Amino acid sequence: MKPFEERFTAWVDGQLSGDELAEFEKELAQHPDAASERAAAQKFTKLLREHSTAPALTNAEFFNLQIQQHITTSEAQGRAVGKPAGWFWSLPRLILAGAACLVVAGLLFKTLIPTKDHSRGLATSPYFAQVIEVWPSEPGIWANTVYNPDQNVTVVWLDGLDYIPASYELK
Amino acid sequence: MSRFCVLLSFVLLAGIARAQDDQTRRDRPVGQQMNFGKTTPGQESHGPARAGDELWSAVILATNAPVPKAAPVALRAYVPQLSRLFGYNQFEYIGSDSQKITDGTEARLAPTKSLWMSVKARRATSKEARGGYLLNLQLYRDEKPLVDTEARLAPGSPMFIRGPQYGNGQIIVVLQIQ
Repeated sequence: MKPFEERFTAWVDGQLSGDELAEFEKELAQHPDAASERAAAQKFTKLLREHSTAPALTNAEFFNLQIQQHITTSEAQGRAVGKPAGWFWSLPRLILAGAACLVVAGLLFKTLIPTKDHSRGLATSPYFAQVIEVWPSEPGIWANTVYNPDQNVTVVWLDGLDYIPASYELK
Repeated sequence: MSRFCVLLSFVLLAGIARAQDDQTRRDRPVGQQMNFGKTTPGQESHGPARAGDELWSAVILATNAPVPKAAPVALRAYVPQLSRLFGYNQFEYIGSDSQKITDGTEARLAPTKSLWMSVKARRATSKEARGGYLLNLQLYRDEKPLVDTEARLAPGSPMFIRGPQYGNGQIIVVLQIQ
């Protein structure tokens, strides 16, 4: 049996007859809007039939030529877009990439490399005392070097030396 | 383009590495430049001692006093730093001594009878030393050696040695070329 939609379309178009029409109209009792839908469809069909005439082309050859030219141009553009890229970028892209690299390099230089020149400060500072090596003479003695470049004082710092009482004559 | 980027990256990385290496060398404080290894002969060249150069040494007692006495003239420029480092506000001479520098000859400096040092000085012609000397110094208390040091000093740049505690103060030994 045909589906309902197909039989409904046939009913709207007036193609059902006999037992088939009687049976379908019984079935339509369950669809109260069927009659109004059929009327609307028939009205629409009538309108299409009355106003479906296309305007006649006066210059059909010229129209076809225009369409062919349009198609040819579109195909050429499509081929240009789909053309595989060469081994290198175009000049504007290269210039843009170079400029971007320079900006990145400048940013890295500014952020990663300190600009304060300490060597100049050392070179102009009149103070220079450098401990190259220090060896304590006994295992109980520790020796370190203390130097602060801002304070310009070099100290050999000994720990573990015996205490000297104030009564001991140093001089 | 990828080759160009790779090349640029190499150049950038090499530049950054070199700049940071230079900066590290420049930033390293002089006192921390010691590597506790022998100085190779190529690192230091020597010239003859200049006539008139003297090694001067003094033993100072650093104490805390409610009304500190004025520091010795030779030390006044360093009193604020010494106060911060050692935590004392008064610095007094216990004794001092000086010796003419004879290149490569060992000299005995005895600012006090008890604390004295043996010093061998050679001219350092390195740019940083500014006409100073490379010193081999041994500090003694009586006949007991305390420390052996190798140092480079420019004229007018004192080096300090934190010595033993004495009474309620601190012994500081100063060594300077003048």
